[in-house]
Amino acid sequence: MNKGPWIAGTIALCALLTASSRGADSMTRFNAAPGSGMKIRLEGTSTMHDWQAEGPIISGFLEVGPGFPMTPGQTVTLGKVEARAEAAIPVRSIKSIEKNGSPYSDKMDEVMWKHLKAPPNSRISFRLDELVLKELPKSNDAPYVFDATGQLAVAGVTNKVSFTVNVTPLSDQKLKVAGATTIKMSDFQVEAVNLLGIKTGDEVKLSFVWPLAQKKPAEANTSK
Amino acid sequence: MGISDNQSGPFDCNRRDFLKSGSFATLMTMMGGVELFAQPEAPAESSASVANFKIAVIGLGVWGREIVDTLAQLPQADIAAICDVYAPALRRAAKDAPNAKQTSDYKTILETKEITAVVVATPTHQHKEVALAALKAGKHVYCETPLANTIEDAREIAFAAKAAKQQVFQSGLQMRADPQSYFLLPFIRSGALGQIVMARAQWHKKTSWRATASTPEREQALNWRLSKATSLGLVGEVGTNQIDLTGWFLNSNPVAVTGFGSILFYKDGRDVPDTVQALIEYPGGVMLTYNATLANSFDAEYQMLYGSDAAIMMRESKAWMFKEVDSPLLGWEVYARKESFGKETGIALVADASKGAIAGQKEKAPKPFTGTPLSFALSAFMKRSAAVDDFVSGFGSDDPAALQTSLSNAHLSPAAGYLEGFHAAVTAVKANEAVNTGQRIVMKPEWYHLD
Repeated sequence: MNKGPWIAGTIALCALLTASSRGADSMTRFNAAPGSGMKIRLEGTSTMHDWQAEGPIISGFLEVGPGFPMTPGQTVTLGKVEARAEAAIPVRSIKSIEKNGSPYSDKMDEVMWKHLKAPPNSRISFRLDELVLKELPKSNDAPYVFDATGQLAVAGVTNKVSFTVNVTPLSDQKLKVAGATTIKMSDFQVEAVNLLGIKTGDEVKLSFVWPLAQKKPAEANTSK
Repeated sequence: MGISDNQSGPFDCNRRDFLKSGSFATLMTMMGGVELFAQPEAPAESSASVANFKIAVIGLGVWGREIVDTLAQLPQADIAAICDVYAPALRRAAKDAPNAKQTSDYKTILETKEITAVVVATPTHQHKEVALAALKAGKHVYCETPLANTIEDAREIAFAAKAAKQQVFQSGLQMRADPQSYFLLPFIRSGALGQIVMARAQWHKKTSWRATASTPEREQALNWRLSKATSLGLVGEVGTNQIDLTGWFLNSNPVAVTGFGSILFYKDGRDVPDTVQALIEYPGGVMLTYNATLANSFDAEYQMLYGSDAAIMMRESKAWMFKEVDSPLLGWEVYARKESFGKETGIALVADASKGAIAGQKEKAPKPFTGTPLSFALSAFMKRSAAVDDFVSGFGSDDPAALQTSLSNAHLSPAAGYLEGFHAAVTAVKANEAVNTGQRIVMKPEWYHLD
């Protein structure tokens, strides 16, 4: 019997399992930290006036490998970092607001949710595909600047998006992640609001502030 | 239960039409009134259902059916169930909620996991049983006002609501959710009226409150408002909203209440007065005089706040400010709709000014809110409950402080919670006691405590 292929396969399997377990052990998980400045903001235009909407809930997690900056001033290398992330925003948590932040209109909220097809698509979600560190901070409290690429699902349609993300490591095993991108609602098959000749613009700026806190291994859980 | 000025009735329709006509607004303007508008709603296309919030209504009397009717017009509401022990009431309510499950047992609603919130609109003396059970079942609860017909029951409800940190408890003090009210609040609290010297409120509606039924037992149950054993009378069942609003503006609970009540017209065996007067005393000597009668409808429902610089009249979600001639100009006036009367603004009585004012109204007047206080209150309740549910769904229930921070950042409309409901119930109970005894009752601060 030729044991060569069997041995080679076993070695390969062992290597794969070892790599997987080493990967799992070296990943650090940060869960979304509610109630600490978390915000998603949408800004758009219309033929009548600019509009804005905000929501306080971005649930999810970020798992990062050893090359990711987790403490202020940490020395890391530019380039791709090992990372996984998922985030979800309940559509009905997004509310229209005035420029000064006061509530704008319940009816406008309902129109917005309807156009975002919620229900049944009750969440806007994002899954990270790749994270690349492109700029080191200029001071200890300045952010690390990344390019993020992932899958954004809005109104039941998923598109690949890329945007700049600023990561600021904080004390006490916390991170502040912030970023922004501009999307075209038509790419997500979201129809413009068109009322009495007043029409919303196709481009919408999405910006977010996402505080995260490292969970101890016993408290780690999956995102919902 | 809360009483809305939108309650149906043929006489009320005629009166409402009169009040909404230009003639009334013109009359107020000619008297020197400046109409105050809260920010108008943005125009929005009519939306197909975006229902994603399953809610049930328990108690389908006149007001419970009004609640069902209002919820049916709110796109985010999915009326999943309606409940009453009286089959005819169920049938009537079902017309506005044809897809709702109908039941005579509220416990089946509380056992239904998909129903996340309930409205308790039973007779006042039955609020405690249903509200406590609903809170225990993990539901968000909107409990009509007054919370209960005794301070002890109201306190028990408030304690349970306070302990339910992952659930919303909203009291049915709907005026607190009315944008017109919290539009006025900063004006009043900022001292725009000058020294507030007195307040007045009235509720006049010719109606017997009596309902008929096929059996004596059912008739007694339907007419709970007519018995002192179960009812807080006009001042408690109806006046609670207006009295609470005054206290909210003055930022104080009463220090004493005095009342008088008589059965002057409906001598049908009831022991609850059909006509009441109450004097509600606040700190510093400011008093609210409250009148209510079931025997006459003249001038319906409104309330006033009088200050050394201006008075405010509130009627049907509108408000007018009447300035004193020697009152100083204040920054708040930039928000008020100005009426041009020749060279004067908003005060002078000039012959041609009314026409100019009308023309000005048509061109410049922002559209007042078209929702009712009840619709704003129910909408606020559902939005807050949905915000709590979304938070718990995303982050779990281990961090009440983070939940409160998230809610404070969620751009939610204000509404009355358990504490406001409890305070209003204490006032209602004691005011009714004063009416029934014809005495002055000094309010003890500890009555308002939840310690």
